Amino acid sequence: MSVLANIISLTVIFAVPLLLVALGGMYSEHSGVINLALEGIMVIGALCGCFLLRSFDISGFGPSHPQLAMLLAIVVAAVSGMVFSLLLAFAAINLKADQTIGGTALNIFAPAFAIVITWAVQGQGQTTIQIPTWIRITQETFGMEKTDGFFATMFFKYQYLTTPIAVVLFIAAWLLMYKTRFGLRLRACGEHPQAADSVGINVYRMRYAGVVISGFLAGIGGLAYVIAVGSGFSSSVGGYGFLALAVMIFGNWKPFNILGSAFIFALFKVIAAYNSSIPFLPKFEGLKDQSSLYQMLPYIVTMIVLVFTSKNSKAPKAEGIPYDKGSR
Amino acid sequence: MKKDNQMLVGIISSVISIAVGLIFGFILLLILNPAKAGLGMSTMLSTAFSNMDQFGKMLYQAAPLMMCGLSVGFAFKTGLFNIGASGQYTIGAFFALVGAIGLKLPWWACLILSCVGGAIWGIFPGLFKALFNVNEVITSIMFNWIGMFLVNLLLANMPFMLSAYYGVGTTDRTAALSDANPSAIIPRGGLDRIFGNSSWINISIFIAVAVAIIMWFVLFKTIFGYELMACGFNKEASRYAGINANRNIVLSMIIAGALSGLGGGIYYLAGTIQYVLEKSILGMGFDGIPVALLANSHPVGTIFSALFISYIKVGGSAMQPNFSSETINIIISVIIYLAAFALLTKLIIAKFLQSAGAKNEKKEVKA
Amino acid sequence: MADDYVIEMLHITKEFPGIKANDDITLQLRRGEIHALLGENGAGKSTLMSVLFGLYQAEQGEIKKNGQTVKINDPNDANRLGIGMVHQHFKLVECFTVLDNIILGVEDTKNGFLQYDEARKKVMALSEKYGLKVDPDALVSDISVGMQQRVEILKMLYRDNEILIFDEPTAVLTPQEIDELMEIMRGFKKEGKSILFITHKLSEIMAVADRCTVLRKGCYEGTVDVASTTKEELSKLMVGRDVEFTVKKRAVQTGETILSVRDMVVGSRVHENNAVRGVSFDVKGGEIVCIAGIEGNGQTELVYGITGLEPVKEGSITLRGMDITHASVRQRNISGMSHIPEDRHKHGLILDYTLEQNLVLQRYFEQQFQEHGVINSGEVRKYANSLINSFDVRSGQGPVTVTRSMSGGNQQKAIIAREIDRQPQLLVAVQPTRGLDVGAIEYIHKRLVEERDAGRAVLLVSLELEEVMSLSDRILVMYEGELVGQFDNTVSTEELGLYMAGAKRMEVKA
Repeated sequence: MSVLANIISLTVIFAVPLLLVALGGMYSEHSGVINLALEGIMVIGALCGCFLLRSFDISGFGPSHPQLAMLLAIVVAAVSGMVFSLLLAFAAINLKADQTIGGTALNIFAPAFAIVITWAVQGQGQTTIQIPTWIRITQETFGMEKTDGFFATMFFKYQYLTTPIAVVLFIAAWLLMYKTRFGLRLRACGEHPQAADSVGINVYRMRYAGVVISGFLAGIGGLAYVIAVGSGFSSSVGGYGFLALAVMIFGNWKPFNILGSAFIFALFKVIAAYNSSIPFLPKFEGLKDQSSLYQMLPYIVTMIVLVFTSKNSKAPKAEGIPYDKGSR
Repeated sequence: MKKDNQMLVGIISSVISIAVGLIFGFILLLILNPAKAGLGMSTMLSTAFSNMDQFGKMLYQAAPLMMCGLSVGFAFKTGLFNIGASGQYTIGAFFALVGAIGLKLPWWACLILSCVGGAIWGIFPGLFKALFNVNEVITSIMFNWIGMFLVNLLLANMPFMLSAYYGVGTTDRTAALSDANPSAIIPRGGLDRIFGNSSWINISIFIAVAVAIIMWFVLFKTIFGYELMACGFNKEASRYAGINANRNIVLSMIIAGALSGLGGGIYYLAGTIQYVLEKSILGMGFDGIPVALLANSHPVGTIFSALFISYIKVGGSAMQPNFSSETINIIISVIIYLAAFALLTKLIIAKFLQSAGAKNEKKEVKA
Repeated sequence: MADDYVIEMLHITKEFPGIKANDDITLQLRRGEIHALLGENGAGKSTLMSVLFGLYQAEQGEIKKNGQTVKINDPNDANRLGIGMVHQHFKLVECFTVLDNIILGVEDTKNGFLQYDEARKKVMALSEKYGLKVDPDALVSDISVGMQQRVEILKMLYRDNEILIFDEPTAVLTPQEIDELMEIMRGFKKEGKSILFITHKLSEIMAVADRCTVLRKGCYEGTVDVASTTKEELSKLMVGRDVEFTVKKRAVQTGETILSVRDMVVGSRVHENNAVRGVSFDVKGGEIVCIAGIEGNGQTELVYGITGLEPVKEGSITLRGMDITHASVRQRNISGMSHIPEDRHKHGLILDYTLEQNLVLQRYFEQQFQEHGVINSGEVRKYANSLINSFDVRSGQGPVTVTRSMSGGNQQKAIIAREIDRQPQLLVAVQPTRGLDVGAIEYIHKRLVEERDAGRAVLLVSLELEEVMSLSDRILVMYEGELVGQFDNTVSTEELGLYMAGAKRMEVKA
């Protein structure tokens, strides 16, 4: 039973970054901008969030106010993601750049920048930022006694503040997209920007909003990823940004479908990361380095899933096409 | 606009991108460590010419870069973004090494194998795009990861490939070619003597240049190239013209894959570097992107842009320990970023040239 | 009263890189009148209206509302001044409902959330009042073109606009729907609303407009009272010379059957149903057969099926007795089929290729142009030059001009040169004159008739009834994927309209 509780709990914390980042991608694409830079934005968000956590750890503020410190780190990750995403927005919206190439540039920039900065701050060769242990939500956080049961494992073994925040952000993202004026206008810009423009909606501004929201969510997602993996931040988020894109496509650009597919992908990721300690997985006798086999799994599943979903995908019609007021 | 003009505009815009990238890099160094920024920058820009050994290293690295750049550029010409050069490169390297260490083949046969390996990995994005309309960017990225883990898995289960098998006690890298099969090492062709016994240099740079010229011929002088570029510019119109667009997408990705794969073969068959079981994707394939973009995907231009990227990479390694060699990747990312809106830049340059040209003409009339 | 102008556009000049789209144009709209804006394609009508609607800003000139100078920087400003517009290409979000489309941009909210109740009531009331029947909860992608236009009109009314711009509104309608629209416009006029009606169709102006302003090549040609003018006078103003309305051609002399289509079924890319549902007809040598119909009734897919761009699900196609039902595009080309495509930018040309490269688009692989897979560029150049000369294709640098930089008319000429020079047995021409000026239209019509007179089979698909009437020897009417009428060219447009709208149908057999 405790294995099941472990798996469920781990799946949740691995699903959190996928969910947040895929929702980010959804906002950007519904506004009409393909955000291939999600990976890079995650790196920047994680970098800034981790540095803040580390400085709180050194200053002693963290251990004494763990959840407040964590909240601040999340805010910083979000803001840094937003700022970084502006680079994509500027290229894609103002300069009418090729969005795929622009995103690729940011994806190359972010990890290189992270390494250079980590070097500069921590000293030569110190490329990993350690994550303090006090950020975890435990029973002690709520002044409860420490126990070992099924639910205790599920709720208090691996969870961080990012999980409840993700729940709130998911609901907010859904409401904003489908129940408000902003969401209606945003979607119009991704589907038919000329139509939006003709009724007086500022397409450029809405696209900026879409990209910046995706930066906000992907920044938090980057921090959530590093926390989920748990071995410190070494300037990479392991292709999670791209997996999130696949989650978004599989989720058909809709929040609830994205939620479901985030959990499916997270489950495979958990199997990949913890294959040796999950008892009921097949063990291949005589095969060395099985973990590589399991680590391939999420990517292979992605491909299979994309084959089945791409035929009738509901991608926003105008995504990837720079909007030019002159051409109509 | 005439074609020659377009070429000139392209070159100018690349030079501007490089300049802006370098300036950005310098500013970054100034912020990080003002005292050593000047030194770092001059190291970056002078190392490759500081001695023949470093110059040889630059040529050695330029060859696989050129191949990856050709791969990305070839795919661009057919309207595809091959961000999967890295995976194709990895599989190509693996095939070459299996040929060299496992099958004891001579170097040229190993290079052919590396093409085959890369081509196999290139088929996937092509097929997925042609059959299921899955975006090749996503497929390529997924296959980069799958390729890396697959090679790890296979090598771990092929003990005869590993260094430990030859008595050197590591299981995390392939055997040195000098131990396993010296005939698989790409010949130096006497270049090592010219380059002061450089341990890097071999004839691979000539192979790469020759391939670049062949690719130029294929693209611009043959009906096959005409078809490929037609698909790249306008898939619907090429269908209308009776060109089998899907077939061309797959073919173009196979060729792109083979080019990257050859890059992997060239790099590891030099005999100086062993393949280390990786935990992250090899960067060489990604460096093919700026190489292709700086060259405007023109195969002959790729020769020069690969030399340039290799040149600053060699300088970048020499910047350590004052600065991380990753500084180079920041410069590269700036160059790619600028390339993303190259159309706009080129438009501005073209206008500038036009007005300058008009003025000159007026002057001539007066004279 | 005569000078009670609700909108005045005075001396408007608008330049785009390379061209003056509007050069000192003045347009004065009286309160409660229907004012037509007439001009050829490219005369600057749409640009002028975009300036009025705030989509473009003019470099010179001023706009007055009720005598007061106003600035219109974006559609919001236009909306505040009571100006609304039905665009030629509808500005509707397909995956939104009708109601969402109507309220977009002027949404009601409460605590930040969208409110629909009031909006729904208002839309239903307007729909009732003006007889504009719509289903507010239907998705735009599911409703007919006619209903989409009603949604566009409701968008203006919902915003309480007093000045209504209709940009080429009749292009997508059947003759009967056009009559209905005219009636609706007269209704608006009675309400005191002022209407600007952009068109290049003279009969519509004569039927509904009070006054008419004419533009030619970006310049103002004058404003006339419709009651005191004639069609001929208007067309002379529009084109700058006398225009022959009819194409001269000799009596039809049909030869053997070239194309025969039997029970053809072609799927649709947009929806589940088949776009072409069991169509049978023949085209003989020496005749022009025209497929008439409203846009979106399966004509595009019919052509795709015949030319091989879309697979045929059922039925058969034979070209000169040869079964080509499942032949590739290339095989059809070689067997003698030429195709002037509907969309010259999407299908007809590779815009980034040079003119000479485009002129050999279906022939580059022929013996003449290659040797062992290597292009024989000398031959390509020679061939291109001969086509450029004989078809008078004009461009900046001749054969090495990048096609993107050529004018639309010359691009179309290049396509026609290429397709006709292949000496096809069957020439499929889809809307070959769309978006061109009168000179180019006349030229293309002449060429098509020459092909017919040379004994070739011509299958023409056109949405322009005038073109259909003047060119065709035989007319087939397509409605919802089926052929519902077959006529010779003496049929009246009213009669054709009934068939095009699906109100009447007959059994059509090949």
